Amino acid sequence: MSEHKLRYGLYLGAIQRHERQIGFGQLVDAERNNKAKPKLRPVDLHRLVTPYVSIRFAEQWWAVVPLALMLIGFQALALRTSLLETQQIAIGIFAVILGLMLFMEGVKLGLMPFAENIGFELPGKVHPSVLLLFSLLLGAAATFAEPAIGALQAAAASVSPERAPWLRQLLGPYAHWLVLAVASGVGLAVVLGTLRTIFAWRLKAMVLLIVPPLLLLTAWCAQQPELVAVIGLAWDCGGITTGPVTVPLVLAVGVGVAASVGRSDNPLSGFGVVTLASLIPVIAVLGVAIYLSSQGTAGLLPVLPAASTSWQTQTPFAEILGALRAIVPLVLLLVLVQTLLLRQKIRHQNIFVYGIAVALAGMAIFNLGLTSGLVALGDQAGTNVPWAFSPHRVTGAPPLYPYALGITMTLVFAFAIGYGATVAEPALNAMGVTVENLTDGAFRKRNLIRAVAVGVGVGAAVGVARILFDLPLWLLLVGGYSLALGLTFFSREEMVNLAWDSAGVTTGPVTVPLLLALGIGLGEAVGAAEGFGILAMCSVGPIITVLGTGLWIDLHTRARRRSKQS
Amino acid sequence: MSNSHNANELIVLTDVVLLTAIVQRGAADLIVQAAQEAGAQGATIFHARGTGIRQKHLGILGLTVNSEKEVIYIVVPSEQADRMFERIFVSAKLDTPGMGILWMTNLEKMATYVPHEVAARFGVHTERHE
Repeated sequence: MSEHKLRYGLYLGAIQRHERQIGFGQLVDAERNNKAKPKLRPVDLHRLVTPYVSIRFAEQWWAVVPLALMLIGFQALALRTSLLETQQIAIGIFAVILGLMLFMEGVKLGLMPFAENIGFELPGKVHPSVLLLFSLLLGAAATFAEPAIGALQAAAASVSPERAPWLRQLLGPYAHWLVLAVASGVGLAVVLGTLRTIFAWRLKAMVLLIVPPLLLLTAWCAQQPELVAVIGLAWDCGGITTGPVTVPLVLAVGVGVAASVGRSDNPLSGFGVVTLASLIPVIAVLGVAIYLSSQGTAGLLPVLPAASTSWQTQTPFAEILGALRAIVPLVLLLVLVQTLLLRQKIRHQNIFVYGIAVALAGMAIFNLGLTSGLVALGDQAGTNVPWAFSPHRVTGAPPLYPYALGITMTLVFAFAIGYGATVAEPALNAMGVTVENLTDGAFRKRNLIRAVAVGVGVGAAVGVARILFDLPLWLLLVGGYSLALGLTFFSREEMVNLAWDSAGVTTGPVTVPLLLALGIGLGEAVGAAEGFGILAMCSVGPIITVLGTGLWIDLHTRARRRSKQS
Repeated sequence: MSNSHNANELIVLTDVVLLTAIVQRGAADLIVQAAQEAGAQGATIFHARGTGIRQKHLGILGLTVNSEKEVIYIVVPSEQADRMFERIFVSAKLDTPGMGILWMTNLEKMATYVPHEVAARFGVHTERHE
């Protein structure tokens, strides 16, 4: 074997990088003269784009996939039924993840900078009444843009027009009324939230003032035979509104307002709006239902099957139109306020255009996947789950398990869904940190997440149970909220803020369609008139558990302090 | 005190170099790991915010560059500095626009905890020298 000699230094020189020295001034000069964009290698593109996309994709992936797997797993393991239309659902779920990712990024880039800027600048420049008008419009426009709103329309088809005529009307011919009622409810809530920030009203007082009349209204509606069926929808709407568009937009404006009136030092200045935005729409929807039903049967419009011939209802166009309808009002409002009221230009126009385009595309893709993915999955689960304890609705096969065991399994399943959906929620993590700071570490982040998750889980189980056994929803609501009010009365203002806001945290664009469809599928399977109310129970559950945990921890620390002193 | 002659003595380390890298948030852990494998004793990471001129050249791709940054301080002996500089450049992928910036500065002196027996060993040495 012949030897080939290579100087070690030469070898090192070949594999090591060489330093070439250039004066920084020379570089700056050269770049100033040469305005051409640098040519990117493929590896540069990969390094720039891959982390950007994968982080955002993973965020939504973790919100959707575990929940979907839980639904599929329960059906596969406990019910031994495999999923129908697997491919379609898989594509649908992928579209939901992709759509949410694009939509959230678009909102962050295209809309959030406006909201922050407007929130900071507007209070000093215009009359307070204009500010309140803007709050009203912002709340309403943000509601249109909320992805979960689309799930309501998808739920309409399964409501029986004979047994719940007004509910069917609200979801069918009067759907615009419903959305408008919810939007104006959120708008009013944002106005109240802004006033609350300016005058430093206590949320405790507001809750104690708003909720009892609301419960009375609910109880009154429950006595009217034509309104009973609407209660579930009205309370569910409260949960739907507090999603990933409304909350950050409203918070951005709220923080700006708080800063400009000199109350930014309060760590709670951002809280409370979520609570109001989940309570006021309930009043609005109930109000609309009362008004419509007072018109008598003359107001009943024929429920038309969706016309499928025109291009507006065909697959890509319908979703694109829906996306435009959802986002354009919000964009117009923010742009008009920025240019006309603040007389400021739109900064970074290309980023703004990119953000809006991405948000539109995301919304359209999300809507595409919503029906074929999430709603189909939830609906199938709802249809199959009662098979555990009753004969199968479609095939008539005998129940799989003895009645008590089947019911228990179903309720445990509902609890697991609620618990699992909550633990993965990133917003809750941020809230947990705030709680730890507020309570000097007595109320740990882990405890908060657990308390909220248990609350949502129990809420989901109660909601499912009420559909299965046809319990009166209004009694559960009045009972639950009375308990929450009682606890509120004894709790500190900080805990009240956190507990009532935690109710809105869990109802994101993934949980809402899944739970709605699950409830409606269940309702159909057991022959109930309607399947709403699970979301409503999921909202009241965490209020009770968080307030309860807070009070218990307060008592505990007080007792410990006393025993130390003596 | 028994060894009171140490009380007004300050051990100063010389021939050290500070490497500072500014990278996108989330990238620091990887870089610190690479630096530690190359012999760095430790690292300090700050959170920061900022943009560079070169990511503006990227146009719409500039959106993929996070303006939230991490600033990494690594102190190394000057013999290791050049090698470490190269390691950090490679592991931070700084040959792509927008990925960050890296520089190195000579430190006049540095002080930190020096183990007692090590200090004693060098302390004898310097005393004799003076």
